[in-house]
Amino acid sequence: METKLRMDAALFQVMDNEGNFDKELEPEIPKDRLIRMYRVMQTVRMFENIAMGLQRQGRIGFYIGAGGQEACSVGSTAALKDSDWIFPAYREPGALLLRGETVLQLFHQLFGNENDYNKGRQMPNHFNSRDKNIATPSSPIATQIPHAVGMAIAAKMRKTGDIALTYFGDGATSENDFHSGMNFAGIFDAPVIMFCQNNGYAISLPTRRQTRAETLAQKAIAYGIPGERVDGNDILAVYSVTRKAVERARKGGGPTMIEAITYRIGPHSSSDDPTKYRDKSEVDEWMKKEPIRRMRGYLIKKGIWNDDKEKELLEEIDAEIRSAVKVAEGIAKPPIETIFENVYEEMPWHLKEQMEETVSRYGKNYRGG
Amino acid sequence: MKREFKLPDVGEGVAEGEIRKWLVKEGEHVREFQPLAEIMTDKVNVEMTSPFTGKILKLRAEEGRVIKVGEVIMEVDVEEESTAPMEIKHDSSPRQPEAAKAASHPQHATESIRATPAVRKRARELGIDISTVKSGDSSGRITAEDVEAAAKSVHAGTPAPAPPHVSGPHDGVERIPVQGIRRRIFERMAESKRNIPHFSYVDEVDMTSIVHARDILTRKYGDSVKVTFLPFIIKAAAEALKEFPYLNASYDEKTNEILLKKRYNIGVAVATDAGLIVPNIKDADVKSIEQLAREVEELASKARAGNLSLPEVQGGTFTITNVGPIGGLLSSPVINYPESAILATHRIQQRPVVRNGQIIIRDMMYFTVACDHRIVDGAVAARFGNKLMEYLEHPFLMKLEF
Repeated sequence: METKLRMDAALFQVMDNEGNFDKELEPEIPKDRLIRMYRVMQTVRMFENIAMGLQRQGRIGFYIGAGGQEACSVGSTAALKDSDWIFPAYREPGALLLRGETVLQLFHQLFGNENDYNKGRQMPNHFNSRDKNIATPSSPIATQIPHAVGMAIAAKMRKTGDIALTYFGDGATSENDFHSGMNFAGIFDAPVIMFCQNNGYAISLPTRRQTRAETLAQKAIAYGIPGERVDGNDILAVYSVTRKAVERARKGGGPTMIEAITYRIGPHSSSDDPTKYRDKSEVDEWMKKEPIRRMRGYLIKKGIWNDDKEKELLEEIDAEIRSAVKVAEGIAKPPIETIFENVYEEMPWHLKEQMEETVSRYGKNYRGG
Repeated sequence: MKREFKLPDVGEGVAEGEIRKWLVKEGEHVREFQPLAEIMTDKVNVEMTSPFTGKILKLRAEEGRVIKVGEVIMEVDVEEESTAPMEIKHDSSPRQPEAAKAASHPQHATESIRATPAVRKRARELGIDISTVKSGDSSGRITAEDVEAAAKSVHAGTPAPAPPHVSGPHDGVERIPVQGIRRRIFERMAESKRNIPHFSYVDEVDMTSIVHARDILTRKYGDSVKVTFLPFIIKAAAEALKEFPYLNASYDEKTNEILLKKRYNIGVAVATDAGLIVPNIKDADVKSIEQLAREVEELASKARAGNLSLPEVQGGTFTITNVGPIGGLLSSPVINYPESAILATHRIQQRPVVRNGQIIIRDMMYFTVACDHRIVDGAVAARFGNKLMEYLEHPFLMKLEF
């Protein structure tokens, strides 16, 4: 008997690189929603340019970009209800923005100021929003996967009808938490979507060094979970595939793993230089498949977009971002006491002692010099 | 308003960067986030963008130059108040407590002063307000020399300045700036412990003969010179070192060679109010006990008064630290970098010992020899210890002059 090591590795696509689309596969998304999705994609890209500049100028400590991967988070979040839970990795500001989080709030987070939801106690670029059911990312890779599975099981037990979706990268599929999460999700029929953004590199490690398997999606088979592969730079395809997984989960059909093939245009983070491990020719090749250009092509072909609207949109976003930087940078840092707060409901003695010592050194309500 | 842009840490822990190419010119108008320059670091190559909107007054670094993080690379006449790093307006910020203000670096009035971060730091160390320092040249730049000169004129005629007291009411801590001798001790001790793999060898020596000899010499010299045990120990060490050259040595990192010293300049650790100082007695091997006694006395009093000359603290080859007069049973001394060994001697005490099957009372002393284990093997240190004991127990074996 022949040993089977393969599954269908074909990518699901709706549109080509120019935005020409297959009418039969085209999902039904209202016009305003499409434009909103496009606006968020552009915002993520422009936000990144400014934020990386802020890091280079020494005004924020760290940044992780999502440029080139906007279709993944925006397309998949668009297929969810707003009450569904999202457990992000760190390249999903698009998910927050699509749910209505403001650019200003993201800058509050980057500057770690008083208005930041986490009061500066998270690394920059670890965006979350309690209101929007988007959990805070944790820097260790893949730890969010079991959290999402747990939340999905809880939602199922509480019969809320909500599901959970978690984002992670190709590197995460080598982590124990991925395997534990997949196994639990399968066993408990958890209404969860495992959304893997395979951008080809775990920092500098290429996917071919990450696994011997031909695809990441086929890992789902071992857990009895459907695995889908999708062109992650095709926002319509991402939306459709996620939609299908959402419907399955809501109907009690259990989890789905989605492998979205994508590419990050910039560095892994502000501490990385991709020219050391990627050829320019490779980047140029991927720029042809870049998701914003494709979405714009689609919108123009649908007759709902043009150059004037584009220009106006970009000016609007640029002004929004620049004014948000100004406001967020001008807001005070949180008082030093907040370092010790919000972990325990009642502060234990050792933290109390440390807080008293810190306050005696810096004074009450100290916010940095 | 003129603003300076200092090279930030563009990666994580980046210390310097090379300006590969300026993308703007002097006199040009730049907008916030407009690309300024291509900067290459050992970690990342980045396109630096402008933190300000305004007219470029000066590009302070030419292409190809390596700039340290914190150095000014550009001056801009800022036209609108952009949110720049150094002068953030905290509208909702409460008044800073005095203690915190004092503890943080003084920022006032330093905006328009041209001085490198190192110079500013030096000024803070010396307790000099940099805004009061005059530049020594026409460029208006304040250099380290300017700061030192200002410090000299401020402190001229006054004894060692009291360290600036910068603690506040909330502190519960007194803050002592590490400077002067203490700074030197910091550097040298850390250097020694960081570079030298120490080991300690301990034994005890019967000092009864030396106690007798000292009594006799004290009677002989009377008040003219104070004879302590130290001259005998110095002498014994110098004699023993002649037979164990690797303990009178140092390591030359640059040439990867061990330097065996042919002179026996024995350092003596002196505790002063300002801290530990180690002057050394040159050519201790050829000096008489009386000479050694006089020199020990002289160097110690000079050290306490802060009057030692440079040659008196330089050129040592081996060090003795005599802990005995203060107390203690044993110690493990830190080598006086870059020497290869140090001898610590301790309290001389009458103790019962067994000799030829009989318990008798002798003047006993523990000593420690700490060595650089790269240069000195354990067996060598042990044999050196034995030789030292031999000389101290039987002083007539040494070439002694009184």
